[in-house]
Amino acid sequence: MERKTLEDKLTGIFRKIFNNEGLTIIDDLTANDVANWDSLSHMILIGEIEKSFGITFKLKELNKMKNVGNMMDIILSKL
Amino acid sequence: MVFTSLNFLLFFPLVAVLYYLTPVKYRWLTLLAASYFFYINIKPVYAILLAAVTISTYFFTRLMDNTDNDDVKKRYMVVNIVLILLPLFFFKYFGALNHEVTGALHKLHLSWPLPEIKLLLPVGISFYTFMAIGYTIDVYNEDVAAEKNFGVLALFISFFPFVLSGPIERAKNMLPQFNSTRLIDYDGIVKGFKMMLWGYFMKLVVADRIGLYVDVVFGDVGSYSGSTLLLCSILYPFQVYADLGGYSLIAIGTARVLGIDVMQNFKRPFFAVSMADFWRRWHISLITWITDYIYTPLSFVFRKRGMTGVVLSLLIAFLISGIWHGAALTFVAWGLLQGIFLSIEALMSKRRKVFEMEFHLEKRWWYILLCCLVTFMLFAISQVFARASSIENALVVFNKMINSGGSLYLDITNLLYAFMSLAILLLSDFRDEFFPGKLLAFESSIIAIRYSAYLFVFFLVLYVGVFSGNRFIYFQF
Repeated sequence: MERKTLEDKLTGIFRKIFNNEGLTIIDDLTANDVANWDSLSHMILIGEIEKSFGITFKLKELNKMKNVGNMMDIILSKL
Repeated sequence: MVFTSLNFLLFFPLVAVLYYLTPVKYRWLTLLAASYFFYINIKPVYAILLAAVTISTYFFTRLMDNTDNDDVKKRYMVVNIVLILLPLFFFKYFGALNHEVTGALHKLHLSWPLPEIKLLLPVGISFYTFMAIGYTIDVYNEDVAAEKNFGVLALFISFFPFVLSGPIERAKNMLPQFNSTRLIDYDGIVKGFKMMLWGYFMKLVVADRIGLYVDVVFGDVGSYSGSTLLLCSILYPFQVYADLGGYSLIAIGTARVLGIDVMQNFKRPFFAVSMADFWRRWHISLITWITDYIYTPLSFVFRKRGMTGVVLSLLIAFLISGIWHGAALTFVAWGLLQGIFLSIEALMSKRRKVFEMEFHLEKRWWYILLCCLVTFMLFAISQVFARASSIENALVVFNKMINSGGSLYLDITNLLYAFMSLAILLLSDFRDEFFPGKLLAFESSIIAIRYSAYLFVFFLVLYVGVFSGNRFIYFQF
């Protein structure tokens, strides 16, 4: 999958989970930049990404997701 | 040796001077020697336990570092966590568990072969064990490299400002600082002393003045009226804040004087507008530890269950947090209550946001005040369980508060001091919350204001402080 396609699909998931239709994602985006992105909603986001892409993360990989860019790298490595 | 003892007031300046006189490369050694001296000074035999936890952690994390096989790494991690948890379980939970089992079997006319053992809890064991566990998991997750220098790791686990009651710091923040070659930072040293002074004010004046009243009433809840118990239940959260918050500031300030930056442990908790917000401001080092090492793995396991998984993880994580505080049903109730409050909030958060936006409530002062009061009330209710000696005792408190007012027991002079000092603390928090950088006292650019503030707080501590040897509340944990 192309990174751009992934970004578009991921944007849709982010908008749904964080209830924000205007949200756009960039590589440097972190939980601090998005309202309601806390430890509670994070795992719901992770579950939704796994379901949408048919992938499974390891707990260890979650710790490496410091921003959306890292998250996309990990997703791409699994597709 | 505790922070409020005369011994510490002699020990700390001596350590600071020795530390800065030591060649930069060996400063960790001075701190390690000081830390073990500090701990041994409390009860020498327990230092063996501290050393054993360190040796086990060093040994297994080095083994983890020497293998690429993830399964083997995981096994080493689990073995170390189990090993270092054993003393904590033994000292903290064995007595209570054995007592309960013996009692239950006795009712069934059966005998239990294990004798009742009453052991003193090694001071700080809950804190340094959690630091060692966090480090072990960080090494497994490759968040930090396994420390090669045994002495530096031993210092991380035994560092004297934290060893008794936290903050539960992270290896990622501390190890690089112990290994670095830091120069003397005058501003940092001054900042550290200011933190210490404010910490002593919080502990000796605010917490201990409130404590003189609250301890008497909670020590015999049957003898006091509902209105007195209500006042105590309102005051107790402030006492814990000033006690643990004050302790934390002294610890953080002590480290700062030595040129070491430490995470903030309290961030004006009583201005929180929800329980989730509250737990981002209260005992931050413990709650972030629980989030990272308990809540996150749990919610990861339950992630396919959506909000049900979140609620389940919250309940279990806070239940563990409650049990961490002590082996008693009161702490179980306390932990469960936090989990329930947070779960209800999580389930209602979207609706709450929509409601707030529809009526433009988020910036209205009366709405913020209302949210702060409700949050405080919920926390105060949970704290009755944390303070009461048993569940029955807590229920007596609630029953009396609801059903019988009665006359208020007043210890006028002491309460006057308590309210006056609490007002100073809360006004300072109010300023930092809503007017940061305004009306500064300790940080004022005008030297006369700055020194007047130092002297005012110093004399408050000296003349209003309680020096009767009150222990810090969190030493029991």
